[in-house]
Amino acid sequence: MLSAALPTTGAFVREHLRAPLTLALLVAIPAFFVLIFASVLGDFAKALGGTLAAQSATAVSAGWAAAFLSGTLAFFQVSSSRGADRRLASAGLGAWRVAVARIAAALAIGISVSAVAFVTLWLRSGIGHPLHAAVAIFSFAVIYIGLGALIGAFVKGALEGSLMVLLLFSLDAFSSPEMTLSGAFAWTPTRSAAELLIAAGGGHGSPSADWLGMAAVAVGAVGVALAAFWVAARTRS
Amino acid sequence: MTALARTRTATTMAFRDQLRRPLMLILIVVIPAYVITQAIAQTLATPRRIGLPDGVFITTTMKDLHGAGMGGVVIAFVAALLGVFVMQSALDGDRRLVVAGFRPGETVMARLLVLLSGTALVVAVAALVTALNFSAANWPALIVSLMLLGLIYAAIGALAGALLDKLAATYVMLFLVMTDLGVVQTPMFHVTPGRLAVLLPGYGPSRVMYDGAFSGPFHASAELLLSLGWTAALAVAVAIVLRRAVGDWG
Repeated sequence: MLSAALPTTGAFVREHLRAPLTLALLVAIPAFFVLIFASVLGDFAKALGGTLAAQSATAVSAGWAAAFLSGTLAFFQVSSSRGADRRLASAGLGAWRVAVARIAAALAIGISVSAVAFVTLWLRSGIGHPLHAAVAIFSFAVIYIGLGALIGAFVKGALEGSLMVLLLFSLDAFSSPEMTLSGAFAWTPTRSAAELLIAAGGGHGSPSADWLGMAAVAVGAVGVALAAFWVAARTRS
Repeated sequence: MTALARTRTATTMAFRDQLRRPLMLILIVVIPAYVITQAIAQTLATPRRIGLPDGVFITTTMKDLHGAGMGGVVIAFVAALLGVFVMQSALDGDRRLVVAGFRPGETVMARLLVLLSGTALVVAVAALVTALNFSAANWPALIVSLMLLGLIYAAIGALAGALLDKLAATYVMLFLVMTDLGVVQTPMFHVTPGRLAVLLPGYGPSRVMYDGAFSGPFHASAELLLSLGWTAALAVAVAIVLRRAVGDWG
C-alpha cells in the first residue's frame, strides 16, 4: 500500500503548493500570526478574565496558527478533490490508498506550518520546554486536520465549510484554558493540547493526563480524517 | 429578451443558487449571534480609557468595547468569505450565461446584488445581537459603520476571490481581518490606533463604529468620508474585475 501511496502523497503536496502564493502564505501567516498576536493575546486573556501570562499567550498563538491553516487546508482537500480522488480510486489505486496519501499530504503540510510557528515562537520569546511545545503545536495541526476533513466530508460548499472552520476556531478562541473564567466548552478538542502548550510556554511540565488526553484526541482526529478522505474517495455524488 | 428581463432572470437564478444552500444562511445567522454574545458575556468590565475621533477621550470598560466592536469583526469575516466565494461562483457559472447571450453587466449586477444582500443580512443579525447585549450612544452611526465594514470587506474578498485560488484567498482574508480589525484598530490594545493604521481598510469604519458606540454627538465625519471613498473605489474595482472575468472569455 505504501509504495503506491507515497508517490501520490508527493503529488498531492505539490497540488497544494504549486501556486507560489499559497506556499508563501503557509510560511508567512504562522510567523506573522505568532509575532502579531503574541503581543496582544495576554491583554485579550485578561479582558476575558483569564490568567494567561504573556509568554504562555505567545505559545497559544503558535498553536492557533497551525490549527487554523491546517484545518482550512484539510477542508479544501476533501471538498475540492472529491471527483479526482474517486477517479484515482476507480483507476486502481483504491479508496484506502487515496485516503492514506491524502492524510500523509495533509500531515506533511501540517508539520511544515507547525515548524514555522514553532521556530517563530522560539526566536521571539524562547520556550521553556521546546519538545513539549513542538508536540503540542503539531497536535493542534493534527486535530484541526481531523476537524477540517470531517467538515469536508459532509459540507460540499466552500463558503459553508470555511464558515464552519471559522465557527470552530471561534469556539476554541473563547474556551482556551486560562483565557476565560468560564468553564463552558471544557470539552473542546484542543483543550489538552492548549494546556500542554501553555505550560510549555511558561517553562512548566505537564501532568500525564494532559499528554494522554492530547494523544487520544490527536489519534482520534487522524482516524476521523482517514475516514473522511476514504468516504470522499469512495462515494458517488 | 430585453436587458431588464435578462438582468431579472440572472438575479433570480443567483438568489435561487444561494437559497439552495440552507446551511450557508444558518451559518450567517449563527456565527454572528454566537461570537458576539460569547465575546460580551465572557469579558470583564475592566475600566479602559480610549480615544475617539476629533481628540475626544472617554473611559469605558473592556466589556463594552467588545459590545461595540465585535459585531464589526464578525461582519468583516463573514462578508469577506461571502465575497471570495460569490466571486468564485461567478467565475464558474456566469461565463456560460454570457456565451448564452447575457451581457456581462447583467450577470455582474446579479452577483453584486447577492453580495449586497448577504452582507446586509449579516449586518442585520450582528446589529440585532449587539442591541440585545449593548446600548450604543448613536445607533445610526454604529449601523452605518457596520454596513460600511461589511461592504468594504465583501469587496476585498471578491477581489481576492478573482485573483487568488480559494485556499489562498481564504487565508488572506481571514488574516487581513484579524490583523486589521482584531489587532490594529481595536481600542482594546491601543488607546488610539497607531500612526500606520489609517492605511488599512478598516480604519475609517472602525473609527465611526467606536464613535457611534460611545458618543452621542458625531465626531467622525472625516473617517466616514474615508470609508465611503474605500467603499466606492472597491465597488468600482469589483465591477471591473468581475465584468472582465465573465466577459473576456471565449
